[in-house]
Amino acid sequence: MKLAAIVSDWRRTESTLERLKAEKLGVILVQNGVYHAVLKEGGQVSPVLGKEGAEYYVVKEDLETRGFAEADVDGKVKTITYGDLVDLIMNDYEKNAWL
Amino acid sequence: MAELTIGVFSSLVGSTTLASAVKIAEAAMEKGHKVNFWTSGNATALAKKGQKKFQDYNFLQDKILELIEKGMEFTICEACAQARGMLKEDSHEQMKRAAMDWYLAKGFGSDRMLHIGGE
Repeated sequence: MKLAAIVSDWRRTESTLERLKAEKLGVILVQNGVYHAVLKEGGQVSPVLGKEGAEYYVVKEDLETRGFAEADVDGKVKTITYGDLVDLIMNDYEKNAWL
Repeated sequence: MAELTIGVFSSLVGSTTLASAVKIAEAAMEKGHKVNFWTSGNATALAKKGQKKFQDYNFLQDKILELIEKGMEFTICEACAQARGMLKEDSHEQMKRAAMDWYLAKGFGSDRMLHIGGE
């Protein structure tokens, strides 16, 4: 199964992500979930970015609303628009989970 | 063209979750997809008439009415609305009211379903 996990909160959701099993996993950061792409704690990136083999995306509009720019985003995360998010849901992943 | 059903089971009017769900609906329609939008719980307040725009506060009603005009189906949970004292005459007539069966039927009939759960 190709699964997209849409992470909408700064809460630590890595334990949920860790339990998700998928042939292909995409993690899409929206709303306050975008903080996982730009903030570090104790010099470490968010554990949410630690799922091996996952593809990471962050919605640019939600980043900019919170005062961040594309240049602030961790290198493993791709910046996308809401239109790209729709393409991911409709074309690239069969199921999705909003966390 | 594919079909997407979005269900929001949380969030008061003004929340960013509802705003994101509406942005996704709009983006999907711009790409030519058919969108069905369902709200339960407190999110049913989106349908209430007489809401006022405030600065720095998500005001979604105009956008939803615009999307309905363009073909989006928007339905609120009738029981959730009734439980909150929001009667049919309190809702915009373009915003339908139905039982949960509507959401399930739309979900099963769609290519994709985006279920945004409760808080």
